[in-house]
Amino acid sequence: MNTKRKTLMITSILITFVILGFIVSERGTKLFQGLNLFIFTAIIVIGAIVSIVTIKKNREKKAGLTIEDELSIKIKYKAGYFAYLYSMYMWLFIFLFKDKFPNIESMLGGGVLLSAIIFGITKFIIKKEINDKE
Amino acid sequence: MKTRIKELRARDNITQLDLAKKVGVRRETIVFLEKGKYNPSLRLAYDISVVFKSKIEEIFIFDSE
Repeated sequence: MNTKRKTLMITSILITFVILGFIVSERGTKLFQGLNLFIFTAIIVIGAIVSIVTIKKNREKKAGLTIEDELSIKIKYKAGYFAYLYSMYMWLFIFLFKDKFPNIESMLGGGVLLSAIIFGITKFIIKKEINDKE
Repeated sequence: MKTRIKELRARDNITQLDLAKKVGVRRETIVFLEKGKYNPSLRLAYDISVVFKSKIEEIFIFDSE
């Protein structure tokens, strides 16, 4: 790992901790309990995955490789369609069980995060299931 | 659909990455094509046939089913 990348990584981790520290000092440790803990964990996991994918894509771009082609576009569109469809059912369930959520922010935040997770899972499944009968 | 891409790559000593670069797709797409898991567009099939200096029907073998 070169110095530039190491510096960037350390800076990102420091910024994350500063932001988390700021949130804790502002709203207390209660924020990291129950559903909020799930939301924060999901944000960190999704953030890490997105960062890794972005770094990988940038590296490929610099190496002169194609980042997006007909297959990746097809997968993305198909995953988007199914993710939208399944998200509709998810929102229906969320509204059915809205009393279980501590506040509206948790409900909406959780819903948006779940939509992102659904998109990721759908994309993964579609990639695995591609076959010549399409 | 079956393809002869792997065989032709070995003949011409071309890696998956080289082929991907030549036809402007990701290496992953070449992997899917070689496994017969993806039907390419006519454009991509044509580009691949140009690289291997072969006819499209010599590279891609379509099943009637």
